[in-house]
Amino acid sequence: MGVQLPFPTPQIEYSLLLPVLVILGAAVVSVLIEAVAAESLRRTLQPLLAFGSLAIALAGCVGLWDQRQVVAQGALVVDGPTVILQGTLLILAVLGALLMMESRVDPAGDPFAARASTIPGSADERGFGARRQTEVWPLFLFAVGGMLMFPAANDLLTAFIALEVFSLPLYLLTGMARRRRLLSQEAALKYFVLGAFSSAVFLFGSALIYAATGSLDFAGIADAVSADPTSGLLLSAGVALLLAGMLFKVGAAPFHQWSPDVYQGAPTALTAFMSAATKVAAFGALLRVMFVALGGAAWDWQPAVAVIAGLSMLVGAITAVVQSDIKRVLAYSSVAHAGFILTGVLAASPKGLSGSLVYLVAYGFVTLAAFGLLTVVRSPAGEATDVQQWAGLAKKSPVTASVFSLLLLTMAGLPLTSGFTAKFAAWSAAWGGWQTGVVVIGAVSSTIAAAFYLRIIVSMWFSEGDDAVVVALPGLGTRTVVGVGVASAVVFGVAPQLLLGLVDGVGVFLR
Amino acid sequence: MSPAAYLALAAVLFSLGCTGVLLRRNAIVMFMSVELMLNAANLALVTASRMHGNLDGQVFAFFSMTVAAAEVVVGLAIIVQIFRSRRSASIDDASLLKL
Amino acid sequence: MIAVFWVCAVLSVAGGFGMVFSRKAVHSALWLALTMINLAVLYVSQQAEFLGIVQVVVYTGAVMMLFLFVLMIVGVDSSDSLVETIRGHRLASVAAVLALLVLVLTMINQATQSLALNIVPTGLEGANADEGGNVQGIAKLLFGRYVFAFEVTSALLITAALGAMVLAHRDRLTRVPGQEELSRERLADPATAAGLPAPGVYARHNAVDTPALLPDGSIAENSLPGALVLRGTTHDVREEVAVTRAAELASDPKQAQEEQS
Repeated sequence: MGVQLPFPTPQIEYSLLLPVLVILGAAVVSVLIEAVAAESLRRTLQPLLAFGSLAIALAGCVGLWDQRQVVAQGALVVDGPTVILQGTLLILAVLGALLMMESRVDPAGDPFAARASTIPGSADERGFGARRQTEVWPLFLFAVGGMLMFPAANDLLTAFIALEVFSLPLYLLTGMARRRRLLSQEAALKYFVLGAFSSAVFLFGSALIYAATGSLDFAGIADAVSADPTSGLLLSAGVALLLAGMLFKVGAAPFHQWSPDVYQGAPTALTAFMSAATKVAAFGALLRVMFVALGGAAWDWQPAVAVIAGLSMLVGAITAVVQSDIKRVLAYSSVAHAGFILTGVLAASPKGLSGSLVYLVAYGFVTLAAFGLLTVVRSPAGEATDVQQWAGLAKKSPVTASVFSLLLLTMAGLPLTSGFTAKFAAWSAAWGGWQTGVVVIGAVSSTIAAAFYLRIIVSMWFSEGDDAVVVALPGLGTRTVVGVGVASAVVFGVAPQLLLGLVDGVGVFLR
Repeated sequence: MSPAAYLALAAVLFSLGCTGVLLRRNAIVMFMSVELMLNAANLALVTASRMHGNLDGQVFAFFSMTVAAAEVVVGLAIIVQIFRSRRSASIDDASLLKL
Repeated sequence: MIAVFWVCAVLSVAGGFGMVFSRKAVHSALWLALTMINLAVLYVSQQAEFLGIVQVVVYTGAVMMLFLFVLMIVGVDSSDSLVETIRGHRLASVAAVLALLVLVLTMINQATQSLALNIVPTGLEGANADEGGNVQGIAKLLFGRYVFAFEVTSALLITAALGAMVLAHRDRLTRVPGQEELSRERLADPATAAGLPAPGVYARHNAVDTPALLPDGSIAENSLPGALVLRGTTHDVREEVAVTRAAELASDPKQAQEEQS
């Protein structure tokens, strides 16, 4: 009785899993440092550990360039798209960490509350002053670890676990802003409730897919789908619910309701990281599930994805026009970007895959830089995020205004910027056939978006400004982040082959 | 008993959970409705496991319970923090963020 | 088997309705616990014995108890207002959910008609017997096929513990004085050396909100709990003291003479 002994040792390919293992290991060490070290030591040690582990993981990831293998007993896959996505995520994590460390723009300290457990406005909170909550670093590393796993997951179970691993720290971090804490806590609650709801929908969808196909891993599901194309409505119901759960995470309409509130309430450094990295991870997983597991049932989900893509692009562009808060403007525009990326997903072909990947990489750097730039425009109460407060910015700081203009124009898709390269890649994959309609909607949405971006740019350069709003001088970290964003916008626009060649060279998903 | 009946029960409980999330204004009850949805999914997984004769579904349900437990900890911590700041757990009182 | 299913199904759905439609949050929690226990029975009836026990121990026993603890902190009496903030929200929600339910039930029904779904389940006798039991079968998968997810779940649990501490554990700004320190402070001042007066020492009251009287008849303010003083909910005994004092003086002329001099 009992399991047959000797129990075969599970095979874990440690070298191939290096990025994920290093980050998660560093996160655990980070928690130990929290327990043991004094606060003054933690302040320097934690960021050092974070950057060190991110660097090692990035090196490991680059080393995986040529690997094509299913690893960890079938839980994860290391293939071309995995390497691109994990590499992008690690670079975005480094940039996000630089923003999180920024303590020059806000005289009160870094973007996170000194002690998240104090009541906003209490004497206790004032007593803690400019201290740091260094627990953000282990939480950040756990989030990055989960994000690295999510696009590499090869079965529904690992995907679900990875989804939760990266979501929980983000819910916590959203509520830990230093300024406007009530808003931040409310955003955390909203993010949490809607996130938990979408995870439950994802789980039920997985359960129905398992009921219809008998298998949890993507290869098994693909086999079941191709063996019996009429697997019927149970599979469709499962796919619909799974898709709904994942589209929530990427912030596509009509599942986007959480993103403006959460982006507005969360500390801007975290918003920058979230808006870029969560999309990259979630779209990576979405692409893998849709292409590998459900590729055979493409006609099932393509119409729905087409409708959602069109809806996202239109809702994102139109609603952004009436927003009065710059963070919400950028949030709605990222909803539109999700729609553009979905256009690539729609194509259900290798070209669609590379188009989506190109868009994700280009978009990630630009949006992170844009949110990072928001932190430098300040009023006495904190960040000046009202659109009217940005009027006349060019007189106070021509550099800030021109960089922000460039980033906005990139997001609008101006030729010779990475935005144009990205849109071209995503749309050309979907061009031809019935998907062309979605591309047309995309073009319309781009035009609307360009209109209100131009409105903001004009107000920055040609309007009279508010004297109370100043442009703070950021530290080296923020400047690096913005510099990388601008460099990527220009370089990938002027020399698109660099990005297109990189993505094309990695090939397709491994089954 | 046919697995279809169990799946139907799971669907009913899932819908009840959805209703709870959409209708209730108290954050804790909304979260309890999400727990009901997770339980419904677990029931579907166990049924599917029996349908296909392998234990993967049960293992997935087991992991889902672990995940739910961790999620409950995080969620209730957030709710307690908000309650301390505002003396209220009603989601209507948390209205600084407007659509 | 069929009887078990119907009893548990009806009770679970009743629990679900009870949870969604109870006015008080505590009642919702208890209805949910009922649903969870019934689901545990359904798991056991479907040859998932391990999961059934874990459902009772972990889900009902730990998770629901945690909900109840938090409800006690937040306020046991908390109940929702029934006023709609967005008009038509309630109707739209119910309509949406009914649509979803009809959809899923139709799909399940369709699936049972088609040949794709096994109407006769394969059953888990084989899988359970393979390894010598349900627990052993799950163990084989947990430590074999799904070992990576199993290890990564620890990251989840660490995050949960860390997050709960960060959000809920209040750090102290000042050091906590030790027992020796507190003792020294107390004995240094003759007024506190014998211990502070307990509240309500006045012969007619023994409530916490009634101040004590010092030997000379004055009211000892430091015998009241600080929170009650801040809230202003303490018992005002000055009138009583004055009346009793006057009565004392009236009955004892010698004291009255002392008072006057």
